[in-house]
Amino acid sequence: MAETMMAPSFGRRAWMGGAAALVFGAGTGVQAMAQGARTLRVRFGSDISVLDPARIFQIENQSIAGHVYSGLVQYDQRTNEIVPDLSTGHEVSADGTVWTFRLRPNVTWHKNYGSFTSDDVKFSFERVLDPATGSLYRGQLAGLKEIQTPDPLSVRLVLEAPNSGFLHKLCAFNQGWIVSRRAVTELGERYTMNPIGTGPFMFDRWTTGNEVRLVANTAYFGGAPALTDIVFRVVRDETAAAIALENRELDVFFALQSPDVIERLRRATGVTLLDRPANNTANLVLNTTAGPLADVRVRRAMIHALNRKALIDGFFRGTKFEATSVLTSTFQEFSDDGVPRYPYDPDRARALLREAGVSNFRFEITTVGLNPFDRFPVPLANDLQQVGIQATVRVLERGAYVQARSSGNLQSCITAVVGPPDPDSPLVTLYHTRSHPPGLNTSRYNRADALLAEAARAPDLAGRKAAYNRLLRQTMEDVPVIPLYADRLFIAHGPNVQGFVQNSLFTVNASPVSLRGA
Amino acid sequence: MIRYLARCAAQFAVALIGIVTVAFFLMRAIPGDPALYMLGDFATAEALATLRARLGLDLPVWQQYGVFLLRAAQGDMGVSVVTGQSALAEILAAVPPSATLAVAGMAIAICFGVPLGIIAAVRQGSAVDLAVMLLALGGISFPVFWLGLVAILTLSHALGLFPALGATSEPGFWKGLHHLALPSLVLGLSVAAYIARLTRSAMLEILGQDFIRVARAMGVPERRIVWHLAFRNALIPVLAVIGVTFAWSLGNAILVEAVFSRPGLGSTILKAILSRDYQLVQAGVLVLAAAVVLLNTALDLIYGAIDPRLRRT
Repeated sequence: MAETMMAPSFGRRAWMGGAAALVFGAGTGVQAMAQGARTLRVRFGSDISVLDPARIFQIENQSIAGHVYSGLVQYDQRTNEIVPDLSTGHEVSADGTVWTFRLRPNVTWHKNYGSFTSDDVKFSFERVLDPATGSLYRGQLAGLKEIQTPDPLSVRLVLEAPNSGFLHKLCAFNQGWIVSRRAVTELGERYTMNPIGTGPFMFDRWTTGNEVRLVANTAYFGGAPALTDIVFRVVRDETAAAIALENRELDVFFALQSPDVIERLRRATGVTLLDRPANNTANLVLNTTAGPLADVRVRRAMIHALNRKALIDGFFRGTKFEATSVLTSTFQEFSDDGVPRYPYDPDRARALLREAGVSNFRFEITTVGLNPFDRFPVPLANDLQQVGIQATVRVLERGAYVQARSSGNLQSCITAVVGPPDPDSPLVTLYHTRSHPPGLNTSRYNRADALLAEAARAPDLAGRKAAYNRLLRQTMEDVPVIPLYADRLFIAHGPNVQGFVQNSLFTVNASPVSLRGA
Repeated sequence: MIRYLARCAAQFAVALIGIVTVAFFLMRAIPGDPALYMLGDFATAEALATLRARLGLDLPVWQQYGVFLLRAAQGDMGVSVVTGQSALAEILAAVPPSATLAVAGMAIAICFGVPLGIIAAVRQGSAVDLAVMLLALGGISFPVFWLGLVAILTLSHALGLFPALGATSEPGFWKGLHHLALPSLVLGLSVAAYIARLTRSAMLEILGQDFIRVARAMGVPERRIVWHLAFRNALIPVLAVIGVTFAWSLGNAILVEAVFSRPGLGSTILKAILSRDYQLVQAGVLVLAAAVVLLNTALDLIYGAIDPRLRRT
């Protein structure tokens, strides 16, 4: 990119532009602002770090990848229904173990990396499954036994056992994003920050700590995007980002969390504030092997002692939803029929503690030093103190927190599992024995494996829904995890943005956006 | 002179090795693990072991240190464990915006701090002196991130004079300068407060000495006394504090970068520390340490130019 900026003539103007780009920390953006550019400027709260789907994590990385890559299937942004993406359709064998996908013809990889074929699908999934890759998502494809490519436009996935929820694993997100065999092989380590996909936008450049720029893929199989490019600007401070949005220095404010800033933007002229329920809850995970917490009556006492509605209405000023389980209403499989509810009832909590013979119980909530996780446990500890539990809060810096949590020795911790609307995402992560520490099942719960396997064996959506409902009922009776609130996603945009669709994935996808008057 | 430069080079090398060694062991002493950071929600014992082996974290620390020193001696600071990019290249890419902010901030600090300190000293005890010292006290007391937010709310949002974002990808020298103005003003004013206070006390000390009294008795004009006799002698401690505050302003630049959403060394190193990206932290510390040591060496040479007595020591 730097070459484009310097060439062809290096006159006074070019020198000034080049010097400005270098000196003012703007990267090499001279070529970006061509005449007639329809650039969308989106706020990111953090910088990006990994764009390889096998190792990707963090909402900013996933937001970039969502524009660059495609999957065999994808979630509809509005409904979370699973719809075709790189495939045109699929058939499942009678025994539910062989899934055959027909692929779109004439799809090309970005930056002249050739045509997309079934070999790329095989390569992508085998790469995730290869232990040498060190993929975070190997477990997601664990039931995939074999990948066959009968011809360049069809791929056959053979499972070890039937799994009616398998399409979730193939959706365009994390392990579901398809990579180019040629690009990954040729670029090696450099691939991490030089992604090649088939999506509506191509990765152009990353300026560390400042911005990421994507340019439109005019050859996109779904039609060329209305925007010419998207610039994702790292603006950490939410107040500064809100002012930049009001000043028209930004078009979209992503990852809006602060209740103050949400309120400010709700009142701001020309700003549209969107919100929808997220796929995740924030939870207090109780170690069911630690002292009095092994007694279900103590755990039930704690959930009765917590005034979760006051937390939502007071601390979060209504910017979160109440949660009845760790699954939210955004999941197609969600049903909370018959799931036990625990209203705020300190008297009942005291009675349960008495019944369990627990007194002078010292209890520590360990949490991460990130807003708002470092502050909202304080009123929770206060609630527990009201019923006689000597509760304290320990806040750790993120690296130290992750290490402490992975040790499995904590009495309790705050955990939120952000992911796609695949019920396995929160349920396997929080309840399955394979997620015991260093995984996130720090409650060491061990009664969910059979029910999760039953859900996977269920023949259809209705069967899965019933199986997951049984699991939710059981886990909310056992209370190894206390769902504190269901997250709510806020995004704001300026008056010139149209066609914006907010998803429930905790990512931003501006592919369908156009700019008014551009 | 050659012996002096050789001594400087030796001190430079020893300081750098010492600093990167301390950074190396400190990073490994704090709790946290890059492999765990990267695996996050999906960590399993097997995945952790594989990733730790791939990153070389399964080796004993002394062995990791040996590998690091050997590579560093060849100019190879390794690759970022998170992004897979060259750690040194990633750090060097963050230097120009940080250096620009620090230099612009320092220029503003000197332009405001030195004259205000001189005026306060010359008019000691007057209302002007009191006002300058109160302003300096405010500059020192208010945290730079607070000053930054106030500047955004007033100068950007209310008055619309400057953009809220401290960097832009839009082309044009003046556009870039416009975006740089607010962060450098905030950084500069906080440093100016220190410089003003020190200039004032250094000037007062010199103005109270015998040779100034003699000069006054001989009828030397006051302007000449202030600028040629007092200021020149007060310059050594002022230069020393400018050197120290330059390093300090690099630290403060982290906060200014965060408030004004500017890229730079501070935000890059902070991100690296939070993600336990050892290689990136080491490369960042090396570059920062080199900058500070080089600056201090340059200042030593300038002292010699200003005060010939110092050349002999």
